[in-house]
Amino acid sequence: MAQNTVYPSSAERLQSLAEAQVGIDFQIRKIEGPACEQLRRLGFCESLYVRKLATGRNLICSVCGTRLALSRILADQVKVAAA
Amino acid sequence: MESPAETVALAGNPNAGKTTLFNALCGTAEKVGNYSGVTVSIKRGTFYTPHGRQLEIIDLPGCLSLEGGSPDQVIAGEALRGISRKAPDLVVCVIDASNLERHLQLVLEVLELEIPTVIALNMVDVAEKSGIRLDPIKLSEELNVPVVPIQANRGKGIVELKMAMRHPLPPASPGFRWQVGNEESRRAFAFATADLVARRPSRHTTNLSDRLDSLFLHPVWGWFAFVGIMFTLFWCIFSFAEIPMGWIESGQDWLASTIENHMPPGDLRGLITKGVVGGVGAVVTFLPQILMLFFFIGLMESSGYMARAAFLMDGVMAKAGLSGKSFLPLLSSYACAIPGIMATRMIDSPKERLVTIFVAPWMSCSARLPVYLLLVPMLMGGREGGTAQALVFMSIYAVGTGTAFIVARFLRGRLGPDKIRNHFLLELPPYRMPQWSYIFRHVFDRGWAFLRKAGTIILSIMILLWAATTYPRLDTDDPGAAMDYSLAGRAGHFIEPVTKPLGFDGKTGTAILTSFAAREVFVGSMAQLFHVEAAQGEEEQATRGHIRERLAMEKWPDGRPKFSTAAVVSLLIFYIYALQCLPTSIIVAKESGSWKWSVGQFFFMTSFAALASFLVYQGLSLIGFAS
Repeated sequence: MAQNTVYPSSAERLQSLAEAQVGIDFQIRKIEGPACEQLRRLGFCESLYVRKLATGRNLICSVCGTRLALSRILADQVKVAAA
Repeated sequence: MESPAETVALAGNPNAGKTTLFNALCGTAEKVGNYSGVTVSIKRGTFYTPHGRQLEIIDLPGCLSLEGGSPDQVIAGEALRGISRKAPDLVVCVIDASNLERHLQLVLEVLELEIPTVIALNMVDVAEKSGIRLDPIKLSEELNVPVVPIQANRGKGIVELKMAMRHPLPPASPGFRWQVGNEESRRAFAFATADLVARRPSRHTTNLSDRLDSLFLHPVWGWFAFVGIMFTLFWCIFSFAEIPMGWIESGQDWLASTIENHMPPGDLRGLITKGVVGGVGAVVTFLPQILMLFFFIGLMESSGYMARAAFLMDGVMAKAGLSGKSFLPLLSSYACAIPGIMATRMIDSPKERLVTIFVAPWMSCSARLPVYLLLVPMLMGGREGGTAQALVFMSIYAVGTGTAFIVARFLRGRLGPDKIRNHFLLELPPYRMPQWSYIFRHVFDRGWAFLRKAGTIILSIMILLWAATTYPRLDTDDPGAAMDYSLAGRAGHFIEPVTKPLGFDGKTGTAILTSFAAREVFVGSMAQLFHVEAAQGEEEQATRGHIRERLAMEKWPDGRPKFSTAAVVSLLIFYIYALQCLPTSIIVAKESGSWKWSVGQFFFMTSFAALASFLVYQGLSLIGFAS
């Protein structure tokens, strides 16, 4: 089940998807910001796994087997922790 | 009296394969593509169930939710709710089997409408190849609706799907196991169900799409690939189409000589050989190149490359105040501005959409191809084909696109920011083998549409132009004097003071005027207007090589060539910028919701074209390119 915020343990460091390293699997822990509904509709939901595939002005990531390109501003609203 | 056919609506997320299924059910060839937002309006068709019952089917634009979104998504939501039309009797929810987590959320929203629903679990082959273990029976049990696994692009599962739609239609799902109207609850149920019926590998595995994207989306190699693909497209259009064009010209010659051998000389023979065969034939010759352009654009749309091009272009588009999403309609406009302008419905920002509609006609469409193909070789000594011409050709497209971006930047600044800020977010679909049957059918349909246009609008203009170049008749053997005396000759003399500063004589000006009905007419008009004067009794057909030879011989009274480099470049510039397409203006008015935009666009683009031609001709003349 995936809808609620997954609270990180005290030792776990949350970072935004924009800052996350390329080529590593992360788990989405929190989505916060004005575009969170748009992000959720496209498949970014708490507890799901995401892999960042490329970075740049826009970044590419894979969520539930779907590859998505999104701007850094949107990626900043997705908080992830190492899977 | 027989009851009216029940209506089946195809609903689903963007790029789930709804239109591919629609084509498979109805045997149609509606536009499909491997990227989100191909379908932006409702399409209708009919088909029969295996029990012989006729059903009406409507293909809705893809939507992520029934709540709000871009204009195309609003259309889908309203159609399902029965706001814009009678609610459908049955909904077929088309879902991508490899992305159930997301697609099921819309299915649950549809189920809440309590309309009988069938789920078409599409692309099961792709899901299984990526290691997902699907359980359609379990999915059917969880949602309490029929679930049919299909492969719409290969026609697999279509009969089973039709069986599921048999009369009486499957009842609406009673009782929901999630909280109706609560998005959080819906999402949680969708994830739990997806987890149960589609077990995916625990780790991301690198596939072919990943490997291709490492090239096509690379910040450096991606651009090399993009430019390489575009260059190959233009090079092929120039080089490979030579052979079929030769066949068409031979057929045209044979037809004209047969008519001449079997008909006595006179006005009717002149009308058929010069007006119909010469005029319309000069336009039809370019059919192979137009087909090739549609073939290449179809390849890009079908393979999944379009979304990659939009991703690459996002940075460039941002400098023009637009986003990568605007690039998709603009790239489609290279084939034809009308579907391109309609495709702007996928853009979330209303102001960005308006600006994209405004500049889309500057993407050189297929109707401009015959004009470019006639004129570009004149800059290279009349020779056709080769790398240099492909580069010139590519530059022409770049000039139109570049100017569109500059004007978009200016307009975007004037319109101000959106109330709600939209950010770039685009699905990059997996690369797929192109749907060859669809591509060839689409290319055939476009070719047929071009021939229909040649047989109606272009033929009518050619006949009128023939009459204008023939009457009033002067009893003389000098074709030049006869032309000057004719209506077209007089019109040419009348407008020459206006067109001369742009580098065009009166006859070229007349040809430009005729092409405001359809751009392609320019080639046929030039063939007629210049053939009359230069023929000297020689019954030669107006093939493109002959038209160029005739134009190269034309001189101003002071002995300078009329079609100097400056004049040809000026003509090209005029055709890059002028808006000479009435259907485009109608669509712009409809999509922008105002005739003011449409009329303003027409006058702005035509004035811009005239001014740019004037500046280019005068500038090039100053540095010696007019002699």
